[in-house]
Amino acid sequence: MAKAKGYSDENLSVRLADRYYRPEESSEDFLKNVEKIGMTVAHMCYQCGTCTGSCPSAPRSSYRIRKFVRRAVLGLENDALTDPDLWLCTTCYSCTDRCPRDIAPTDIIMAMRNLAFKREIVPRNFLNTVQFIYKTGHGVPNNDVNRAARVRLGLEAEPETTAKYPDFIPGIQKILDHYGLKDKADEILAEGQ
Amino acid sequence: MADEAKSQKPRVGVYICHCGTNIAGSMDIKELEEYSKEIPNVVLVDEYQYMCSTPGQKKIEEHIKEHNLTGIVVAACSPRLHEPTFRTASKEGGLNPFRFEMANIREQNSWVHMHDRQGATDKAKDALKMAVAKASLLEDLYPKSVPVEHAAMVVGAGVGGIQAALDLASSGIKTYLIEKSPTIGGRMSQLDKTFPTLDCSQCILTPKMVDIDRHPNIEMMTYTEVEKVEGYIGNFDVTLRKKARGVLTPAEAEARGIVGGGCNGCGDCEGVCPVIKPNPFEMGMAPRKAIYIYHAQVVPLIYTVDFDSCVKCNLCVDICGDKKAIDLEQEDEFVTVKVGTAVLAVGYELFPIEKKTEWGYKRYDNVINALEFERLICASGPTGGKVIRPSDGEVPKRVGFVLCAGSRDNTGIGKPYCSRFCCMYSLKHAHQIHEKIPGAQPYIFYMDIRSFGKMYEEFYYRIQDEGAKFIRGRVAKIEEDPITKNLRVITEDTLLGQPVDIELDMVVLASAVQPTAETTHVRNLFGISCSGDGWLLEGHPKLNPCGTTTAGVFLAGVCQGPKDIPDTVAQAEGAAAAASIPIHVGEVELEPYFAMCIDDKCAGCGMCIDQCPYSALALVEKDGREVMQVTEAKCKGCGTCGGFCPGGAIWMQHFTTPQIVAQIDAFLLGGEQ
Amino acid sequence: MSGKAHQYAFFLGCIAPNRYPGIEAAAIKTSRNVGIDLVPLKGASCCPAPGAFGSIDLKVWMSMAARNLVLAEQMNMDIALICNGCYKSIWEVNHKLKHHDELRDDVNEVLKEIDMEFKGTIDVRHLAEIYYDEAICGVAKLADSVTTPLKGVKIAVHYGCHLIKPRKDREFEVEAVGDTENPMWMEELVGALGAEPVQYRNKMQCCGAGGGVRGYDIAHALDITNEKLINMNEVGVDAITDICPFCQLQFDRGQIEIGEKFGMEWSVPVLHFSELLGLAQGMSPQELALDLHGISCEPFLNKLQ
Repeated sequence: MAKAKGYSDENLSVRLADRYYRPEESSEDFLKNVEKIGMTVAHMCYQCGTCTGSCPSAPRSSYRIRKFVRRAVLGLENDALTDPDLWLCTTCYSCTDRCPRDIAPTDIIMAMRNLAFKREIVPRNFLNTVQFIYKTGHGVPNNDVNRAARVRLGLEAEPETTAKYPDFIPGIQKILDHYGLKDKADEILAEGQ
Repeated sequence: MADEAKSQKPRVGVYICHCGTNIAGSMDIKELEEYSKEIPNVVLVDEYQYMCSTPGQKKIEEHIKEHNLTGIVVAACSPRLHEPTFRTASKEGGLNPFRFEMANIREQNSWVHMHDRQGATDKAKDALKMAVAKASLLEDLYPKSVPVEHAAMVVGAGVGGIQAALDLASSGIKTYLIEKSPTIGGRMSQLDKTFPTLDCSQCILTPKMVDIDRHPNIEMMTYTEVEKVEGYIGNFDVTLRKKARGVLTPAEAEARGIVGGGCNGCGDCEGVCPVIKPNPFEMGMAPRKAIYIYHAQVVPLIYTVDFDSCVKCNLCVDICGDKKAIDLEQEDEFVTVKVGTAVLAVGYELFPIEKKTEWGYKRYDNVINALEFERLICASGPTGGKVIRPSDGEVPKRVGFVLCAGSRDNTGIGKPYCSRFCCMYSLKHAHQIHEKIPGAQPYIFYMDIRSFGKMYEEFYYRIQDEGAKFIRGRVAKIEEDPITKNLRVITEDTLLGQPVDIELDMVVLASAVQPTAETTHVRNLFGISCSGDGWLLEGHPKLNPCGTTTAGVFLAGVCQGPKDIPDTVAQAEGAAAAASIPIHVGEVELEPYFAMCIDDKCAGCGMCIDQCPYSALALVEKDGREVMQVTEAKCKGCGTCGGFCPGGAIWMQHFTTPQIVAQIDAFLLGGEQ
Repeated sequence: MSGKAHQYAFFLGCIAPNRYPGIEAAAIKTSRNVGIDLVPLKGASCCPAPGAFGSIDLKVWMSMAARNLVLAEQMNMDIALICNGCYKSIWEVNHKLKHHDELRDDVNEVLKEIDMEFKGTIDVRHLAEIYYDEAICGVAKLADSVTTPLKGVKIAVHYGCHLIKPRKDREFEVEAVGDTENPMWMEELVGALGAEPVQYRNKMQCCGAGGGVRGYDIAHALDITNEKLINMNEVGVDAITDICPFCQLQFDRGQIEIGEKFGMEWSVPVLHFSELLGLAQGMSPQELALDLHGISCEPFLNKLQ
């Protein structure tokens, strides 16, 4: 990240910021954490670009999976986790399928997203999914229009899931509570208001 | 076996090497010295910084006489390094060199126990005790010299095999040059131009091919394969299968009494043959008949019948007429030759790049591999040197070259290694497109440009100057337009940080190279290992790149690892030089680890005979009964018979049962661990 | 494999039962006609959505998926499912936990709190790959079950992503299913129904919905979908078929959203393979709740000869 110079004119300070990369700005643990959570050998990347070449998001945005892997290797945690492009990966796994160094770039993104969440950096839609799952057991819960349609089809209004057996929901909530996920999601959503 | 020294009580000298800090840094030398003084039979203990140095060796030489030593133990590095050094020192000191025993306290101790000083020291004590136990029982042994046959064999007649054969033959050695295909020349014959000089490949090779054909010391045997290899260095008995060619050479015709007959390469037979097959020399892009030659410059110029596709219509026999060169009833012939050494130069093939499905080889018409490109652009190729698209015969203007196709690949599908010469030939191909097709635009998709050799970087400079577009990105995938059959190469220009989608008329994949399908069989016949990447294993990657761990067998060319023509020729010359040494010396010394039969104990049961992997044992009659006898020249001292003999009648010299038991006892009864 | 032959615990996921129930009804009925019995899996939850949920915390994702697996283990039955996203969660977590002791121990520590334990005793398969597997069904048997062939229509196959990618983390009984660059097995299944499968540019591309992108930046997701629609339109199709209800949602509702956001009007019917199979086996549009689709299936139904 560029370091603004302490000039009296703040605009100039920022515009002329020192853009050198220096190892001091690397986070030692970032690569280790990303590799541990993603279960992949990010440090083996030789920046061939096959991943970005395979990516459906790259041609329509500034998202470059190759650069995210580079950031992991160089420990540029802030740059990676605060980049909004982090959330443009559709997890199609084309990059992972083709990577010649046998790395899973998608899993590097997932690991970074996990780390971002820990820093409370996460788009709201993900938190909404957590809420739905906590409440109903489903990311896309049943609704009345659907219930009526199901009955017309000869199915039961509620499918055989937690929809029909809500007594399974406390168990699910226990799992989520074990990780404190619901509380964290609530917290972040509240801050956002 | 009765040994004067045996009646004498053993007097062993122990030398402990510091090896700088390699050993001394991990264990306590002083403690080892004190311990050694207490070991039974030890009469002298000494230590030195570098035992292998001149002063170190001098110690051994002088102490033998001074202290009347019967055995020497040096605790130092691996015997693979300095066993010969200390054996020689012992010999210089007047002691039989096989009374020397080495204790490896470096590779097998200090180098792997660097963080356990006491543990390493204790382990070294055990090693010393065991070595002294053995040294106390070592005996005088004398290496056996065997004569070396004044002949050599080269398997594979590409440029590597050709060069090795020429060098061996020119030094006065009768050389058998064995080639499985009907002609010599190998891959180099298939190439159009060679980098960086842009010489015509066939033009610079054919003089050597002619030299082979004419050389009085070379017996060129094409369409021949190695069937069996027996023996050992200096005395290899190689059985060759001369595959049935169906066509007689003039010499073969004469031997059958046909005057003025044999094949003269006229080609009339080819003209009438009704069977058409793909020509592998042209990468399947041109036809050949069931009776064929690969191309106009084959050596020897003799036709070959492909009996798998021949329908025995006899039209060729008829038109050959009085020359009577064609014999459709010919069978494979076996011949055994004796050679002193052999050079393997069995070359390579291209990795089946269709396995990397993202690039569409074999699915898309206009995606070809590098050898197919060579044949297209070669004037003697299927299109007379005109580069055309397979789909419609049009001349491509926009041609892409995909580097690292299947190389540097850790997915388990491709090869993990770099194939070394593809960067250079892709640059060459880009140049050729630029030169031959006005208005053409070559694209090179790369991760790195490895232009490592003499004048190679300058060649890269030139190609870039000529206007080839270099895009740094490994090709993610290739798509084909179903109507135009044009290709779209999708990758990222990593230097721009932008994905690119480039439409091209033709794409050439610089596929990885790999050992041929037959390499495994051939190397097993000669007893050669391969390394983890599949290529044949050299003796030592730095210090013995042309040899192998099998005495008398050498390697040349890509079969040992991907390399370009200059390196192939250099290695071939090195292999030839190394292969000629035992032959010129005339004899070779075999280490005296032979098995020995104790007649008194031998029951003549003969069960050991078949156990021997080297056929070194036989039953002979002695004093009216049958006992086993070892042919020492064939024996490798592997110990199979010694371990097997139910009567304990077989004695493994230098690894006798008493010696081994003494080592075990030294360790178990009183070892430190 | 455990449980009775050709009997599977039917994992429903979310979008099929709760938005396209016709897929659920079709899957149960049509699979029975080829000798497959889809048994209700009581109490299953969201798989959970691998992109939307895994992005938050992979450990929780694994624990939730494991809970669903244990429900089937308790039935002593392999799982069959009809959604690529569910396949990733259910099959992959099953595979991961079977092969990594530390992960399994971590997950079981959490499951212990609800008296469950992952044992790794069952397998997971996608219904589409089961249809292609001759050991259980196969193309010929599927074709035999067809009573009203879908003649006269061109159908584009959208494979989706999570069933087959990445190939190194997948193990299929039938090798052809695992081809990630140019598979043809779904086309064979479509052909078995009597329809004409068509090839289009970049057919293996993602629909754009996954990884939470549909929720995070819908325009971006829709642009990816739009690219696929343009490519399909280039060769002319009467319908799109998919094996993932999330892809189905993205293509179906997505066409309406693309009209609203980009001004490009599309009306290509989108049907899950189970719905197609239902039509081919004589189920009516009503029995398949095709009226719930965003894009009307009428043109497609009318074109069927």
